[in-house]
Amino acid sequence: MLKNHLKIAWRNLKRRLLFSAVNILGLSIGLSSAFLIYFWVTDEYKVDRFHANGDRLYQIMEKSTENGIVQIHDGTQGPLSDALEKDIPEVENAVTVMDLGKEGMSLTLRNGVNTFKSEGLFAGKAFFETFSFPLLVGRSGEVLLKKESVVISENLAAKLYGSPNKAIGQSIEYEMFGIVQNGLISGIFRNPPGNSTLQFDYVATKQKFVEDIWTNGLIWENTGPQTYVMLKANVDMAAFDRKIEHLIDRYSEYNTFTLFTRKFTDTYLRGNFENGVQTGGRITYIRLMGFIAVLILLIACINFMNLSTARVSRRFKEIGIKKTIGGTKKVLIFQFLSESVLLTYLSLILALVLVIASIPLFNFITGKELGLRFSLGEIAFILVTTLITGLISGSYPAFYLANFSPLAALTGKLHKVGSVINARKGLVVFQFMASLVLIISVLVINEQVRYALNKPVGFERDHVVSFDLEGKAYAEPQVLFDELDKIEGVVGMGAITESIISEEGGSSTYGLEWPGKIEGTEIDFIIRNVDEDLMKTLGIEIAEGQGFNRELGAPETFLILNKEAIKLMGLKDPVGRKVQLWGEEKTILGVMRDFNTASVMQPISPVIFAYSANQMGKAMLKLQTRMEQKALEQIEAAYIRFNPGYQFNFSFLDQTFEKQYLSEKRILSLGRYFAYLAVFISCLGLFGLAAFDTELRNKEISIRKVLGSTSLGIFKLLSTDFIKLVLIAIVIATPIAWYVMQDWLSQFAYHISISWRVFAISGLATILTAIVTISFQVIRAAVANPVKGLRTE
Amino acid sequence: MIQIQNLKKSFRTEEVETLALNNVNMKIAEGEFAAIMGPSGCGKSTLLNIIGMLDNPTAGSYKFAGHEVSGLKERQRTSLRKGNLGFVFQSFNLIDELTVFENVELPLIYLKMNKAERREKVTKVLERMKIAHREKHFPHQLSGGQQQRVAIARAVVTHPKLILADEPTGNLDSKNGTEVMNLLTELNQEGTTIVMVTHSDHDSHYAHRVINLFDGQIVTESQNRAMGAMI
Repeated sequence: MLKNHLKIAWRNLKRRLLFSAVNILGLSIGLSSAFLIYFWVTDEYKVDRFHANGDRLYQIMEKSTENGIVQIHDGTQGPLSDALEKDIPEVENAVTVMDLGKEGMSLTLRNGVNTFKSEGLFAGKAFFETFSFPLLVGRSGEVLLKKESVVISENLAAKLYGSPNKAIGQSIEYEMFGIVQNGLISGIFRNPPGNSTLQFDYVATKQKFVEDIWTNGLIWENTGPQTYVMLKANVDMAAFDRKIEHLIDRYSEYNTFTLFTRKFTDTYLRGNFENGVQTGGRITYIRLMGFIAVLILLIACINFMNLSTARVSRRFKEIGIKKTIGGTKKVLIFQFLSESVLLTYLSLILALVLVIASIPLFNFITGKELGLRFSLGEIAFILVTTLITGLISGSYPAFYLANFSPLAALTGKLHKVGSVINARKGLVVFQFMASLVLIISVLVINEQVRYALNKPVGFERDHVVSFDLEGKAYAEPQVLFDELDKIEGVVGMGAITESIISEEGGSSTYGLEWPGKIEGTEIDFIIRNVDEDLMKTLGIEIAEGQGFNRELGAPETFLILNKEAIKLMGLKDPVGRKVQLWGEEKTILGVMRDFNTASVMQPISPVIFAYSANQMGKAMLKLQTRMEQKALEQIEAAYIRFNPGYQFNFSFLDQTFEKQYLSEKRILSLGRYFAYLAVFISCLGLFGLAAFDTELRNKEISIRKVLGSTSLGIFKLLSTDFIKLVLIAIVIATPIAWYVMQDWLSQFAYHISISWRVFAISGLATILTAIVTISFQVIRAAVANPVKGLRTE
Repeated sequence: MIQIQNLKKSFRTEEVETLALNNVNMKIAEGEFAAIMGPSGCGKSTLLNIIGMLDNPTAGSYKFAGHEVSGLKERQRTSLRKGNLGFVFQSFNLIDELTVFENVELPLIYLKMNKAERREKVTKVLERMKIAHREKHFPHQLSGGQQQRVAIARAVVTHPKLILADEPTGNLDSKNGTEVMNLLTELNQEGTTIVMVTHSDHDSHYAHRVINLFDGQIVTESQNRAMGAMI
């Protein structure tokens, strides 16, 4: 029976070439889009899921209430891991991790001959037992036991020593905050896989970090590194969270934090919190892309449904005969489903070719290295998705066609045809509505990203180059600046301890006290030390008072705050007021206009600038337009001359700023392509329908022409029906898209308001596309010789 | 074999109700060859459709081989048709996508017969219909007479008790028409009951009995004395 069904299906496919081509093309585009999105989604889901004890790995998070809003922090206290291991029996391992990359820091490493700048970690002894980063040399429980131990990646080992085995036992120098540290290589680990959120080239010990580098890490009143725990098996997490909630209170009388756990695997996908509640993160984009995949497949399925039911008249005879000679409804349903499944599997071949062809572009957009790997899971997904798509495509035509009575099918007198035409129209409206929602969304996201990129952030970010200050330059930046000042094209320069963009990491503090501070008020201020030229270089404006300058006596005793900080503190006439920073008295010298330290989509943060001339981490140089390249070459030469043995790595501030919108830009690019595809598939369906419609109305068209209708009149007659459907789609899509996009925009502190132009442009573009799509068929019918049409009848 | 009593069939549209059959009473015995005649729109095809269980009557009784079939559901009628009834249409109604062999094989597939048995039966019937040499051809590659022979082959391949023929020679020239009528007569002589709707006086002479319909009612019935005379 199946053979018979497939035989008929195959012969039908060959005979109805337009129908087959439209469906195969639509379904293959739909399937290939779904496969690409599936590869991306599974890759995203795989992030951090390779750890052997992943189900027992948790990150300790801290909660505090600032101005009535619950804030979540992943920075924890240095001693926390030891306290967890000591006080909480359910903890098998607790590890402090100071991720320098997360803090925007990289170290210069030296083995006496070679120098490399790279990112790494300081971590507790159990790091390699807790996380599954396999060691090529060394044992996981031993490599971080000694304070001076440094474990390096196979990559770094190859760069520094030629091979992993030669690296073991060698000494290595690294520098942090201007102090050179010595380490001993105790192990080599395999390079962390791309799907790990922890990316590092070396791991030095926590002991070294808190005893010799960041001594504040020994006390409970400072936060910074992350703390991870590996729990014993079968721990009740609700009870565990209750147990650790007030743990810090046992050790610190000034504590304002409570603790809770977050699954380590949630770090990547569910990183966002709103007023203390986990609200998602990248998972939103994954769901969005999954939804788009389903939508595109559905649009392709609808093409099959519509075209199958549109050409139903061609199958009346077959259905009637089969029913007459004993074919049951079940048999016919099975036959039509076999046909759609066969067609979908044929489309699969083209879909796989499309996937292979588009993978490079897809990888370029997503920044991933995806590809068809034909793993068991992948094959299963591809085959099952194709089967389901085939069944969905065939379901409506199958049940519709198999329901005819044999007599009705044989005579062609069908009462249900009217209702199916309405259903078909409804499905076309759905296709265009879905495509329009995608197009409008893409346009709105595009506008928002453009707005974010162009909105003034309160400081100059164009033509500003930033680089790390190390060695002599860290200790005495002003001496280096005197050299750089001589370079043509350098128009300003300043120094700052850490990046001005908080996404790149950096310090913040609750340690500011001011007159009139209400007890219990907790404000997390971003704090940076700057020199007297930094604000001028970046064009940060003073609203009240003055900035740091050389005429000030003892500038270290002054602070400059931004307007947001003053507003949150509730200070009136702030300039000249005395405040306490970490117990030391300071005077407010000036108030800066607000500027964005993070994405412009985030609210403005309160900022404190303290003064420092030396021991600065970053230089910021303003370059003259069109002189950047030449100036940079000279800056690099001067830096290396001034600071031999150090690398010069620079970045442009505008590019660093734009990186914050990377995920939005990627989603935008993907969304744009998939929206085009959705429109294309919808148009394919419309093209097919127009072909069948004009064929069915051949006689009507001929009679009208014989009676005097012009070609233009026929064109209007035929196209009006289709345009009406698109217009209905526009009417339905507009409020849906508006609602969805309004909801998306509401997550940003600063966003565009959706303009009517977005709807007008997308609506007009869709109508035009639809007209162009149907034109070929409609014009052909309109200019055809009416005699031919009547003769055919 | 067929017992029809007070059979009525009406068609209703939004505004009009048309009575296609009005109190039809008839009996057709096993092995009989009956022709139904009458002008266009008199209800011939409607009656044939009801006898063929393609349609249900509005009122009255229709017994097929002793079983009441009026009011049966589509699924039950399909299962009763399967193997018991064979159809021959004016427009042949072959499936364009299937070859001659596959068209004839189709009813046997629905009867879930195994492949070897199917091949044997189909080959036999095609040889009998003198169309075996065309078994791999598609319908559009055949002449009208050949197509109707394939349609008859498909109708008889399951050895049905009853063959219903709706204007079987309507689309054929006289030579092919005669061939088709001779085939039907042969089948009838072998014991198959045949009910045929026709406009043609010539064809009606092949039947044992001619039933004349007018405005949905049987107006005359006549026995053919010259039965088989034209074979």
